[in-house]
Amino acid sequence: MNAAAIALLWAVNLATDTCGQLAFKKAAIENREAAGWAHWRHMLSRPWIYLGGAAYLAEFVAWLAFLSTVPLAVGVLLGMAGIVSVMVGGRLWFKERFTRPRLVGIGLILAGVALVGAGG
Amino acid sequence: MSSRSFFIGGFLALLILDTFAQVCFKLTALHAEPLTLDPPWLLRAFATPWLYGSIAGYLGAFVTWMTLLRHIPVGPAFAASHLEVIGVMVVSIPVFGEVLTWVQYLGAALILAGVLCLANGEPPESAAGENH
Repeated sequence: MNAAAIALLWAVNLATDTCGQLAFKKAAIENREAAGWAHWRHMLSRPWIYLGGAAYLAEFVAWLAFLSTVPLAVGVLLGMAGIVSVMVGGRLWFKERFTRPRLVGIGLILAGVALVGAGG
Repeated sequence: MSSRSFFIGGFLALLILDTFAQVCFKLTALHAEPLTLDPPWLLRAFATPWLYGSIAGYLGAFVTWMTLLRHIPVGPAFAASHLEVIGVMVVSIPVFGEVLTWVQYLGAALILAGVLCLANGEPPESAAGENH
């Protein structure tokens, strides 16, 4: 597989991962008053949770295709990019702040994922 | 419940359900061998109780995840969900006979430290002014 195709698979993976998580977040915070079953009924009556599910499915296929072409270490790098892109997406769409504990915590997790992936 | 114990309890539940589902999934695949990808293979898979354990685990993990997302910003939540890396690591030692390097143990420790840092950094007042 050539470099352009691998780059495309990488982009599809990152996009579906990020869009899926952001859609689930959107589904989870709509209709804040409802609780329990009422909240779930509302989530299931709106498109976001299905959008997230579809993104998950697409991601699963893209991930399998991706892993069959590149070494696992490159896949781990992709997982790290997903952490960053979901955080940026959360900032842009949901106004989530980059507080110091969040930046430190996410930095530690990024380093940990890198070591687990590269140290095998 | 304090936001800290909600955070830690939620991600612990997510870790357990996710690891349980993945182990059941692996056991389903082992019991359904050989991997012929035909109807008899599907029948063998559906005949094992492990498949249903796997489905139940994934469903439980999904409900847990949506509950967490309702109260926690998605950026830190998604990062903390990588706690599952540790679950898979720990289970792969006895189940798949994997030997882990000290670099991987160090990585697991860093992930754990990061999750604890996120748990401590989500005070109740963070709900104010933030759209989550």
